[in-house]
Amino acid sequence: MSTFTIDRRKAAVFGAAAAVRLLLFTAFPGLPELLTARVEISTPVTSFKRLQEGLFLYNHNVSPYDGGVYHQAPILLSLFSLLPNSTTYPSFTYLLYIVIDVLSANALMKISESGEAGSSKLYTSPRKDKKWTSYAIAAAFLFNPFTIATCIGRPTSVFTTCAILHAVSAAIAGQSFTSMFTLAIASYLSMYPLLLFPPLVLLCYDRRSSKQQDSSVYNFVAKNAASMVGLLYLLAQMSSTITGSWEFMRSTYGVQLLLPDLTPNVGLWWYFFIEMFDSFRNFFLGVFWIHLSSYVGGLTIRLRRQPLFVITTLLGIFAIFKPYPSISDTSFFLAMLPLYRHVFPLMRYTFLALSTILYATLLGPAFYYLWIYAGSGNANFFYAITLVWSLGLSILVADALFAVLRDEWEVERPEMRGKEIRQV
Amino acid sequence: MSGLLSSGALLRRDPRLLKVPPYLSFLCIVIGVAWLLVLPLDNYSRKTYISENALLPGQVHTYFAGSDQNVFRGYKKEVDALEGKGNTEVNDKLEEFFKASGLKVARQKYEYKSAGETYSGENIYAILHAPRGDAEEAIVLVGAWTNVEGELNKSGVALVLTLARYFKRWSLWSKDIIFLITADSRAGPQAWVDAYHDTHQKGIQSLPVKSGALQGAVVIDYPFDHRFESIHIVYDGINGQLPNLDLLNTVVAIASGQMGIGASLQKMWRHTDTYKDRLTTMLRGMLNQGLGHASGPHSSFIPYHVDAITLQPYGEGWQDEMAMGRVIESTFRSLNNLLEHLHQSFFFYLLMQSSRFVSIGTYLPSAMLVAINFTIMAIFLWVKSASPPATAGKVASATGEKSAPLMLVQEGDAKALVPEIFAEEKERDFFLPLAVVVGSHFLGVLPLYLFNHTPEIMLPAVFFIFAVMNFVFPFLASTVLTRSFAPTSQQYQLIKAFSLLFLGMFLSTLATLNFSLAFLVGLLSAPLTYIRSYPGRPITTVFFIGLLSLLAPTTVFLAGTTYWNLGIGEVLKEAAFGWDVWGMNTQVVVWCVWWPAWVVGMIQLAGKPKDEGGSIKI
Repeated sequence: MSTFTIDRRKAAVFGAAAAVRLLLFTAFPGLPELLTARVEISTPVTSFKRLQEGLFLYNHNVSPYDGGVYHQAPILLSLFSLLPNSTTYPSFTYLLYIVIDVLSANALMKISESGEAGSSKLYTSPRKDKKWTSYAIAAAFLFNPFTIATCIGRPTSVFTTCAILHAVSAAIAGQSFTSMFTLAIASYLSMYPLLLFPPLVLLCYDRRSSKQQDSSVYNFVAKNAASMVGLLYLLAQMSSTITGSWEFMRSTYGVQLLLPDLTPNVGLWWYFFIEMFDSFRNFFLGVFWIHLSSYVGGLTIRLRRQPLFVITTLLGIFAIFKPYPSISDTSFFLAMLPLYRHVFPLMRYTFLALSTILYATLLGPAFYYLWIYAGSGNANFFYAITLVWSLGLSILVADALFAVLRDEWEVERPEMRGKEIRQV
Repeated sequence: MSGLLSSGALLRRDPRLLKVPPYLSFLCIVIGVAWLLVLPLDNYSRKTYISENALLPGQVHTYFAGSDQNVFRGYKKEVDALEGKGNTEVNDKLEEFFKASGLKVARQKYEYKSAGETYSGENIYAILHAPRGDAEEAIVLVGAWTNVEGELNKSGVALVLTLARYFKRWSLWSKDIIFLITADSRAGPQAWVDAYHDTHQKGIQSLPVKSGALQGAVVIDYPFDHRFESIHIVYDGINGQLPNLDLLNTVVAIASGQMGIGASLQKMWRHTDTYKDRLTTMLRGMLNQGLGHASGPHSSFIPYHVDAITLQPYGEGWQDEMAMGRVIESTFRSLNNLLEHLHQSFFFYLLMQSSRFVSIGTYLPSAMLVAINFTIMAIFLWVKSASPPATAGKVASATGEKSAPLMLVQEGDAKALVPEIFAEEKERDFFLPLAVVVGSHFLGVLPLYLFNHTPEIMLPAVFFIFAVMNFVFPFLASTVLTRSFAPTSQQYQLIKAFSLLFLGMFLSTLATLNFSLAFLVGLLSAPLTYIRSYPGRPITTVFFIGLLSLLAPTTVFLAGTTYWNLGIGEVLKEAAFGWDVWGMNTQVVVWCVWWPAWVVGMIQLAGKPKDEGGSIKI
């Protein structure tokens, strides 16, 4: 009886989320186009419009990477060419994106139900009982305006989000191969999820099933790394068969690495590289990428006991420092954060950080309008707001990190509980 | 450094600190208003100047005189003869004239529907291809057949026809010149500009002939026969956007410097350059900007980043229509000099007279301060809502930490004694407050839809019903809230915190787009900062309910219409027209920003917090 009622609640959350999206899709027919064109939602590597362009070329037997507009993985072409044309029958595309969102939420619920956030194998938070139900967490993801806007704007980043969430949920379930497989798909689609491999493999190791209990951590990591490489090779080989050449490597991952497209977005790279003298470009590309990847090692080691939190923090950091971030990455981070409800009381600047993000959410489009349409502003207006946006996100990430560290610290030194402390 | 940090930590615990924000936010409002009031002074405003050197206003000799006056008289007679004729008949004749001048002519039909009425007509325009240009840029000379007041623009249209013939003779134009005669001053220009940029709605014809990117537009509104004294310049665009200040400066420099014609703004017919006159001009400008409506045919051009102004001759004087023509000629010669789009000078400014202004850097702080007052209070209330009840803090501070109640904390094997007040974390229950605030913002869609989709005849009735409902609704909502959820005083604090946070956020964003509207709405909702529930103090509650009722959007609207002697239906019809045709956004701000904040304020006043001890004092 109880399982039946639980399923009903889940169905209610998912149904409501799907209904809201369907309503927005159907009641405002201009909305999907409008949001697709927003730079905050669509980046050069995720834009639905560019996907359409690639699809058109692909269906006319021209290499989709000709013309330098399409920078997404070839498998998306196969997927979308199976669907009826999205301009004549848009409902199929809408349904696909809604299903993806619901699948993501489902994986998120599984992660939440496992209780991994509150008590991992090596660490149990004293506050772990203070948590939200998985329905609340799914609802917080599904009804987040950023998630809804992302769904309506249809960038392909939602596939990556979905894949990462499934990788994490599989890792928690102890299915390390499934986890590696989904992470390989995510990395294949967007490349940056590859950086999640270290914490994810540790999560797999911590939650491995009883028959793998005897393997050492090195063996385990090496085995999974090998399967990851194998899977990635398989996917790449498959893509080259689809498109008929290896050109896609350059146009997809090359674009992420070398940043040739400087379309504005909510991140910090585009403006910096607009201003950059060409002779320094390669150096700073290296610096930016090293900076982004340097967090992985440090966090994985420092928070060895809570690999899921490493993943959460990294997602937050990616949302700020990735080459082409969008609000979809932010919504992903904000979806993972409620899993750590138990450390919220330890966070100090939540209100400030969230107000900053809200301010930036409003001012961003306003300044973009002043720059692009009204002509009374300039690029600095929008860039200033992306700085504020990143500042808000960084405060949130850093504050969550502080709270988790403090939570760990208070277990070691209970007498310090509730005392003022100073960060040095 | 460490000393500084620890004193900061001490300060955070200081109860006095929590007393500061209300005063600080009040100070923000006072400074914000005072800031605005000092702007007209010499030390805070600047004299206007031409930024774009290419314009060279008034540097050329104007030749529009002599025999052209006879041409003007001829056209004038023809226009007079066309008075009262149908739109198509008028355009047939105008087409003849333009063709006779050797210009390419085209027409455009349009039809808009708004508030149950249809606005239709036909625009006619002629293009003079630049002898020295490549049809990549164009400037527009507009003469609406009827002006904003609905009068026949007799001399204006005749002047456009004369100038078209006259300009055709010159070989010095490097930009195309488009002569546009719209059927009216409200829908016609909008239809034409929309179609020029291919963004027109259904019911508007596309333009058969086009030229290059529009660089500027000048509108002549000259509806009388006699000589005039000065020129009145109208510059407000839709949604408070303004044309580049250089355009205005150019016209002022030409009119007053070259031709000796005075220029005035914002219907200040007699400007004596006193503080009072400057302030009045500025406030009138702010009101027009805040309302965001089109003030002339030029307004429709501005959203497309085409700088445009309307020139209205007024008064009884010795300037004749040829002087007006020379002003236009000289202005067009200046615009013709432009090497790139007007961009040098300011797009955000307040004018105090035709030669004095303040730029955004100087005036923006006043609106921002008003908006920030809400944010300060929001943060204050958020912090306050989680702090432990005042009594516990008092015990601790009065008797020192030693005697504060201690509690045993046990983690695994370790045990510790911790002062109880620190361990106590008052959790915020923010779901209900957030739902109330977000819900009220979404509810704003209701009046927005209602007032933009009601036919004209019903509008006054709908308004009165809404106004009455408006005063009943918060009490109903409050009763429902108290009955079904019984919010605590913490939740009321959070309701207020979220409401003020949103208000502050919306207003500071708006201040960058439409300063005046943000300032006006901010000022009118300033009392909301200090509103809370006063359980057991009915007189105070009634006083505040009275005050808030006076500041309700509906009351302010009624007061405004009464003060300016306008009909309610008329204004609402205009608003709906603005929404449907001009793309005016003022209603969104009123119904989705201001009204929800007001409703939440009223709900707080009517509210009864569950535990009455904990309500805050400000």
